[in-house]
Amino acid sequence: MTSKKETIRPARYGMTIDVDRCNGCGACMVACAVENNVPPAHAGANDRKGLTWIRVYKVDNGQDYPGKRSAFVPVLCQQCGSETPCAHVCPQQAVDVDPATGVVGQMPERCLGCRYCMAACPYHARYFNWWDPAWPKGMEKTLNPDVAPRMRGVVEKCNFCYGRWHEARQRAAAMGKPDTEPVDYVPACVEACPTGAIRFGDLNDAKSEVARGAKEPRSFRLLESLGTEPKIYYQSQRDWVREIASAPRPGAEKGNVNG
Amino acid sequence: MTTTRRDLFKFAGGAAVGALLSPAPWRLITDTALWSENWPGIPRPARGEISAKFTNCTLCPAGCAVKARCVGAQPVSLAGVAGHPMSRGALCPFGIAGHHLPYHPERLRSGPVQRVAEEVARAMAARQTSEYVAVFDPRPGRTASWTYRRALHAIPGGLYIRPAAPWSGAAVNLDAARIVVSFGMPLLDGWGTPGNVVAAREHFRLIQVEAVESRTAAMADLWLPVRPGQERALAAALAGGTAEGTGIAQELVRQVAGELATNGPALVLGPADWPEIAELNRQCGAAGRTIVARRETPVPEAWQPGAAETGWSAVEDGSLRVLLIDEGAGGGDYVPWSTIERKLAPGAAVVAFTGTPEGYARHANYALPVAVYPEAVDDIPAAVDSPVAVFRLSASLVAPPEGLVSATDFVSHLAGIDAAAALRERADAICAAGRGRVFQTASGAVTALKEMKPDDFWKALSEGGCWLDEPDPKAPPPELSTGAAGFTASFAIAETRGAGLVSPLLSKLHEESHLRLGKHEVALHPSSGFRDGDRAALETGCGRILVVVRRDSSVPPGVVQAAAGADLIDLCGAAESARVVRL
Repeated sequence: MTSKKETIRPARYGMTIDVDRCNGCGACMVACAVENNVPPAHAGANDRKGLTWIRVYKVDNGQDYPGKRSAFVPVLCQQCGSETPCAHVCPQQAVDVDPATGVVGQMPERCLGCRYCMAACPYHARYFNWWDPAWPKGMEKTLNPDVAPRMRGVVEKCNFCYGRWHEARQRAAAMGKPDTEPVDYVPACVEACPTGAIRFGDLNDAKSEVARGAKEPRSFRLLESLGTEPKIYYQSQRDWVREIASAPRPGAEKGNVNG
Repeated sequence: MTTTRRDLFKFAGGAAVGALLSPAPWRLITDTALWSENWPGIPRPARGEISAKFTNCTLCPAGCAVKARCVGAQPVSLAGVAGHPMSRGALCPFGIAGHHLPYHPERLRSGPVQRVAEEVARAMAARQTSEYVAVFDPRPGRTASWTYRRALHAIPGGLYIRPAAPWSGAAVNLDAARIVVSFGMPLLDGWGTPGNVVAAREHFRLIQVEAVESRTAAMADLWLPVRPGQERALAAALAGGTAEGTGIAQELVRQVAGELATNGPALVLGPADWPEIAELNRQCGAAGRTIVARRETPVPEAWQPGAAETGWSAVEDGSLRVLLIDEGAGGGDYVPWSTIERKLAPGAAVVAFTGTPEGYARHANYALPVAVYPEAVDDIPAAVDSPVAVFRLSASLVAPPEGLVSATDFVSHLAGIDAAAALRERADAICAAGRGRVFQTASGAVTALKEMKPDDFWKALSEGGCWLDEPDPKAPPPELSTGAAGFTASFAIAETRGAGLVSPLLSKLHEESHLRLGKHEVALHPSSGFRDGDRAALETGCGRILVVVRRDSSVPPGVVQAAAGADLIDLCGAAESARVVRL
């Protein structure tokens, strides 16, 4: 008789985002800010100094009116699965990759605010707190108790609503489920998307919707040639949308990282 | 060995350099960061028992079902309710952050209630026989609307005014449509019930006729970039006319007209007062198939008869002695102030019941503060895309602050009627009718109404439930009449911004990204010569406002795209041309 040793089956949480279904309403951006206690814009904030863990960009096919065609691309931390640039450059080890979930996390308590990670991130998905977080009087009562507001001077970013993962884990434990299994949860942006464009799940689970979606021919990842192995898969039937995602360096061969 | 003073200095210096090279100072910095996280300037989220409450959103006519996650009694996040027969789990960005509205820094919190009551009483007493005491209800069909009609029926010279509704009594059945031609309607960006539209979108081909590449145009199967101001001409071309001057090739117009005729059931959406839209729908047989008759939600017998519904066009100029505007229910149609102003008698008393200083409060003699979502208890009439009547309540999630007034209480007090229990009376009338079914939000169960007692029905409604009527099989197809067709502006096309108060977190869409045009922002084609962020003035015959310019090649040359707010509608709503002037 052999004894079976129970081991943790690591999850690799990821997303598929169907660009052809996204209507750019911004529900994901607002739901993310509500969930993660991201404050409203400071008086001096603009599109470069704002805090938007997920941000919907409007992209187009490069033609002028009336030949112009647009699409909306939600961009969040791409949760790089390999050579995670922000983790490599952080002098404070304030960025970590959770082996149980694959989520790239940011620890504001450790962050010095040097912003190397922002410079290193090829997706511009990290944001710096230029001001103390502030809410209009009374609105601080609506803050999510599962997420601590961050202080001025640190970098923050999407962590796939890690607070929700913890909550799901606690719920599973209360129901007597073993903590060796990945839990079911969805980030706020996925829950909020009214068109169902954003799907979330475990890429290691071959049966999951995202694992199957990631393998579809219309799926692609942003700046795939960099080799960072993002866990966000975009989908579109439109060629020009897929071409935008590859963004080869000027003069470089396609797929040539060193250009 | 003798220790000299020099040795002591050397030791201290070495220790200082050594300490710098050790982890200690870095640890100190980290600890400083830890301390700074907890300084008093950073708010701490409240703790308490987590629970869920249910309600329905009143920010627009869609009335989406809402599940609120609460800490103690305080909602901290809102989400849609999966399985809801109309909203189908969806919420728009305005609805997701709706629980912030009670704390909006610009919200009205106080007003001279007593003085207004005296002023209105004086004006009513001084009224001539040819003058009226009117209530303007931008969001008709509510129980509050019936309270106004009952009150105005009892007041001599009472007049109930509502926005124009040429297709009154009819609704759109998107589920039945296989091809939809939309003339500038934001079908995929806030029109109707977002969740219902998205679900139905799987089954129909969408052709969007619009000068600007809006969100709906970007998502449509076919976008017809019509020349600005030629939308009605293109509608006439689809009905059999010529497409000359519309910017769309005749062959393409013929092809779309062919699709409408053969790939039905078809539906044509556009401003309801355009006769061309009604004609196109008549030609493709939409009435009775994709445009259906809808019964009104039952009302108690005792409420009949109320004051008749009147449109602004039927009100005589200079005839209103007292005008009370109920702007508290969000999402109503904002009628340009210039239309209202000429109906007022000299020295008329105008009172706006509102939560925001942005709308009619700018023009009224007095603005009285009212409860806002999700403080207010109100019912939400069926949206345009609901083929059957509905009844649902926006249950209060947060207690309103002191000092607010209720527009219905104010008006019913003027008439001396008691309407405090109007919502319950109407629920009982629905129960007495005994038809339809009830969706219970918490459990997701659907129960036939005839199986429920009045108290259980009321309890289900108070917990966010929704009553849905049965379709009326004997109802004749609705008549697609048209109102007086207005002009087609050739310059300005508005983008949805949300009327009234919006959560400060909507800055994520406006200031912190340029996903949506913010207040006082306009988009122009790059050939306009403006640079991104330039300051300019938007001028029409009605005035001017200062704006910030955004360059956008989705906007055709010669067109200004702006976000629809009350001040912009006042500026552009009755103007035929506009220009953007560099400051």
